[in-house]
Amino acid sequence: MAEVGAAPARRLGLPDLPIWLLGTVLALLWGAPFLWMVSTSLKPADQVMTPVIEWIPREITFENYAKVFRYPVLTWALNSVIQAVVATGLCVLFGAMAGYALARLPFPGRRALFALFLAVLMIPSEIAVVPLLLAFIKAGLASTYAALILPQIGNVLAVYIFRQHYLTFPKELEEAALVDGAGRFKIFFTIALPLARAPLIATTVILFTLNWNNFLWPLLVTFDESMKTMPVGMAAFAPVVGTHTQLEGYAVAMAAVTILCIPSIALFLLTQRHFIQGIALGGVKG
Amino acid sequence: MRAEGSGWQAAGGARRDWTGWLFVAFFTLPFLLFNLAPLLFGVVLAFTEWGIIGDPVWVGTANFEQALADPWVANAFWNTFLYACTIVPGVVVFGLAFALFVHQRWPLSTLARTLFFTPNVVSATVIGLVWVWLLDTQFGLVNRYLAWLGIKPIPWLTSGDWSLIGVSIASIWWDLGLAFVLFLAALQDEPQELHEAAAIDGAGRIRRFVHVTLPHLRPTISMVVTLQIIASMRIFSQVYVMTNGAPHGSSQSVIHYIYQTAIVQYRLGYASAVSVLLFLAILAVTVLQRLLLRERAGG
Repeated sequence: MAEVGAAPARRLGLPDLPIWLLGTVLALLWGAPFLWMVSTSLKPADQVMTPVIEWIPREITFENYAKVFRYPVLTWALNSVIQAVVATGLCVLFGAMAGYALARLPFPGRRALFALFLAVLMIPSEIAVVPLLLAFIKAGLASTYAALILPQIGNVLAVYIFRQHYLTFPKELEEAALVDGAGRFKIFFTIALPLARAPLIATTVILFTLNWNNFLWPLLVTFDESMKTMPVGMAAFAPVVGTHTQLEGYAVAMAAVTILCIPSIALFLLTQRHFIQGIALGGVKG
Repeated sequence: MRAEGSGWQAAGGARRDWTGWLFVAFFTLPFLLFNLAPLLFGVVLAFTEWGIIGDPVWVGTANFEQALADPWVANAFWNTFLYACTIVPGVVVFGLAFALFVHQRWPLSTLARTLFFTPNVVSATVIGLVWVWLLDTQFGLVNRYLAWLGIKPIPWLTSGDWSLIGVSIASIWWDLGLAFVLFLAALQDEPQELHEAAAIDGAGRIRRFVHVTLPHLRPTISMVVTLQIIASMRIFSQVYVMTNGAPHGSSQSVIHYIYQTAIVQYRLGYASAVSVLLFLAILAVTVLQRLLLRERAGG
């Protein structure tokens, strides 16, 4: 499949000009909340609520960012990184192996297993969050990295994307190695996996984003401030959840969420082609 | 599913090959333990009263009876239905319109693609807080621009009449990216010959859209509708960040009520029973969707 939504630009005829203008303005409007977020985050406290709307700050200050770091943001960031990197790494590796086997290796129960995976993929994870929480509490594992990571490894999305990839992977590449007497694991790790660059990137960035943004489960399972992830810790800047905004105002809250969204937006912009391709293929979010 | 690799088996002899299980075991183990088992455990839990401390007490169907009579459960399900009614059409209509626009490949269309999709990759905390600020009654950007049109300040997130709509607006902004990309991919797969033939026959842009593009998009539209209905039924994070269900539960979704009974009141058995009810609702929607689709395909 060709890249989604990117092709040589077409010339713009005069009759199309009004639609083009409308669409472009809408696109800019769609991005405007981010601009307003950054703009607010750079304003001094007394210039946030001005009588006239000021898109460009009169003077730029980083004091709001300094105030955000009075909260244990670095601890939350470290937790987020550990949780997202480990969970994503394991899910991609195990998912690739499972996807490869489901596409390539005939084994008893293969169809039933894939049907089970697909059935669970259709059930939102939120349904099972309460029993999962109770199990982790009873096992004494609440508020640990294990609690944050373990439930994220079995994300069927990875299996699904890799299976799709390996269904059309040319067999000849492996057959030579098979004739030479190489084992299945050796073939997978030296031939099949290194040649799966596109699904590897797509699955990694999509799962990393999902894990980085994951909200309900970390909110439930982290009781200590020191085990919170970034999205959960920073939710306390919301007026209805915590008291940070009453104390600090919207400028500091905007600085907090600017810090929070930089990694996911940067990752998306860097890998946009693969990211969108993977989303179009998987058709699944969160 | 096609039996790919059946030719391979012949190469290795007719014996049953269990190597595949070794490959899938690494994924299947955590999947069974942390994704499948909790679903089954949840059904058992729903028939008990079980706190954080102490042992489970079997209560039969008491949790379900109570849930079906609980006005807060009814309220949460009704609100979730309303969320679906606002978010699904918003996402489908805007997602399709934006995809059609970007598909024209006019100048700046790559930038437009990026802008339309970007909100989809950020966390609910970002979405929620940015929109709490944008929808602030007194100083929010939305109300201040509406004032230019002579519209009085709307209490988007603080009044029972508006809170659900306020959260829905933010949700459409967040969720649109997925629908947009799926529509864009489908438009790209559209056979150009049909379009050109229709153009030669003198069909205008709108007629070509209705008679060529729309039939081609039909399976994608129903897929997006299904995905988005399920996504709307599991709405939680943005509700938590923006209103925490307030005022008076007017924006409370089912998952938010589950969260509240489980974490604030520690009634895990009851929360599981409500989870089972939500699962049944999602199952019903999925099955209904399948039946409708089959009927349409058959007729």
